[in-house]
Amino acid sequence: MATQAHSLSYAGCNFLRQRLVLSTLSGRPVKIRKIRARDDNPGLRDFEASFIRLLDKITNGSRIEINQTGTTLYYQPGLLYGGSLEHDCSVLRGIGYYLEGLLCLAPFMKHPLKIVLRGVTNDQVDPSVDVLKATALPLLKQFGIDGESFELKILRRGMPPGGGGEVIFSCPVKKALKPIQLTDPGKIKRIRGMAYSVRVSPQMANRIVDSARGVLNKFIPDIYIYTDHMKGISSGKSPGFGLSLVAETTNGTFLSAELASNPQGQGAAVLPEDLGRNCARLLLEEIYRGGCVDSTNQSLALLLMTLGQQDVSKVLLGPLSPYTIEFLRHLKSFFQIMFKIETKSCGEELKGGDKVLMTCVGIGFSNLSKTLK
Amino acid sequence: AALTTSDSGHCTAEEAFASEDASEESSLLSSEEEDSENGGDIREELTKPLQVSSGQKLKSENLIDETSDIEDLLKEEDDYKEENNYSIETSGALKWKEDLSRKAAEAFLRQQQATPNLRKLIYGAVTQDNE
Repeated sequence: MATQAHSLSYAGCNFLRQRLVLSTLSGRPVKIRKIRARDDNPGLRDFEASFIRLLDKITNGSRIEINQTGTTLYYQPGLLYGGSLEHDCSVLRGIGYYLEGLLCLAPFMKHPLKIVLRGVTNDQVDPSVDVLKATALPLLKQFGIDGESFELKILRRGMPPGGGGEVIFSCPVKKALKPIQLTDPGKIKRIRGMAYSVRVSPQMANRIVDSARGVLNKFIPDIYIYTDHMKGISSGKSPGFGLSLVAETTNGTFLSAELASNPQGQGAAVLPEDLGRNCARLLLEEIYRGGCVDSTNQSLALLLMTLGQQDVSKVLLGPLSPYTIEFLRHLKSFFQIMFKIETKSCGEELKGGDKVLMTCVGIGFSNLSKTLK
Repeated sequence: AALTTSDSGHCTAEEAFASEDASEESSLLSSEEEDSENGGDIREELTKPLQVSSGQKLKSENLIDETSDIEDLLKEEDDYKEENNYSIETSGALKWKEDLSRKAAEAFLRQQQATPNLRKLIYGAVTQDNE
């Protein structure tokens, strides 16, 4: 990790998070130029700066250089250190934005990571903490990352624009990852959900549950949608409500969908009935796409496959998201790993859209930071 | 009746006689139609060999020649047609066996073009060179 490899150079603000995370894991310095150079408000945004500060906190010996306008960033990664930390995330993005990065890095720390993140738990842009808890954690467990301390807990809920949410994430460290063979997603066995409401009538959550069940009850009887109404200091600073749904298959695949109400003062008011119905339809769409990994976690699965032992890993995915496609290109430039990509059409079996079978051999990444006991 | 027919050789007279005979017989025998018909048939059978004698024979021979020629032509045509049909049928029946390897190659290429090459789309043309 500390070895000096030649740096990679990129231009533009897209996929900044991917580049920084992969740079940290591979130990290759990265230089990013022209970050919003032609924008009226050039340079890094607050939420990106906050992410860089978070990287600085969890690593030891990182060198970060940003020019005066913030349009050029040089990042030389240090060692992943971990430990007990706190971080105030920007309210412009959800905690999910930061948590997605941490999920990639946390298994490779020197000390187990235990971090308190404050900010927006649920927004309309990033995967919510509820969804990551329900989908990403089981995925990490497939790779052998497990233990008593492995948890993600919502202490307070915060909605944009005010935020005020708080979550605690702790993850054990692993020396090496298990290769995975996920080629059969199985059939949908149950659907769980979480309808939350903060600083609005608690009845909102019930109305969401009713309309969502109205759509889903036609397909499967085993549905349970929890209602979560947080009060007082646990409810953050802004009102809002939303729903996240997770479908579990017989083979332990979790497929998710979510929707949140418009932030206070932005856009038209959303009826909870519409939100519930639309969210249920989004879940059906996600089930149609299918695959063994939820579309929000495709890139996480591919990263952990790449970093696995020198063994063949296979995973069946639904249609690749644009984010995942760019992530594959980055994996190639940082780790020289190219996946074997086979399209599998499921026309005859009526199992939804076309699937992609991704196969790779892990680079045999081992956690050098972890102290041997 | 047999004598008259031998003289003329013309169909009309014979027919007239026959018809007369038939009428006579029918009048005589009255009731049973079957018998009269049978008798007529017998007479005709008797007359026919006599008819085919002098000039009629030549004519008939000519006719036969002509007809045989036509038949030959027709036959040839028929044969020709049949041969054509045969060749078409056989080629149709065995067409799928022709150029199997070439067809397999074409089908493979078609399949290749129909399904998007995701690897190429993601990693660009560089991978093709590597492969």
